[in-house]
Amino acid sequence: MVTTDWVEGEVRKAVPDAVVEVIDLHRSGDHFHVRVISDSFDGMRPLQRQKLILAVMKQHIPHPVHALDLKCMTPAQAETAGDTAFDPHGGGQGVHIRRIEKNKD
Amino acid sequence: MKMNWTPEELQAIVDEHALVLFMKGTPNEPQCGFSNRAAQVMQQFGEPFAAVNILTDSRAIPSVCAWSDFPTMPQVFVQGELVGGSDIVLEMLQDGSLKEMFDAGRQ
Repeated sequence: MVTTDWVEGEVRKAVPDAVVEVIDLHRSGDHFHVRVISDSFDGMRPLQRQKLILAVMKQHIPHPVHALDLKCMTPAQAETAGDTAFDPHGGGQGVHIRRIEKNKD
Repeated sequence: MKMNWTPEELQAIVDEHALVLFMKGTPNEPQCGFSNRAAQVMQQFGEPFAAVNILTDSRAIPSVCAWSDFPTMPQVFVQGELVGGSDIVLEMLQDGSLKEMFDAGRQ
């Protein structure tokens, strides 16, 4: 099991200028919803954005990180993004949970 | 179908089908929340898709992940190209880019 701070640190190795929000979905230290917000994503396709991060993270998958739900956005996309995170073990269609915190600044 | 999960076999699947979903379980009986989400996105999209259950053989996950150079399941291929997992495919359904890529055909 790892901490949200650790995940944030790993993600920032890949995208140093990013705003990184990590949610430990089950408080179990292995299922994470991660939002990564950076100007550097502008003009990149979603897979390219994730691959930057996965280049650092894939050594940690599937242990200790079992599930990694990534949302890589530009600041403009983050403005209009929804306020929910997907829980893969929410049952049925997957339950959406409120984010723990929201950056207001 | 007898699969050995070679790169040639995997490439043949994505060459043959415009939409391919590698997933844990089946669309009717998904074995993982992310695979379920990806299957639901495919069903909502409404075009026929091929679903490959990678839990049928212990060789499947490492073989697919090495071939596609993507570490997690599920994986969605559109017109032969990996677009990503359930998070990306949902985003692409919502912003219309999934349809654009599907309609554009093979590049």
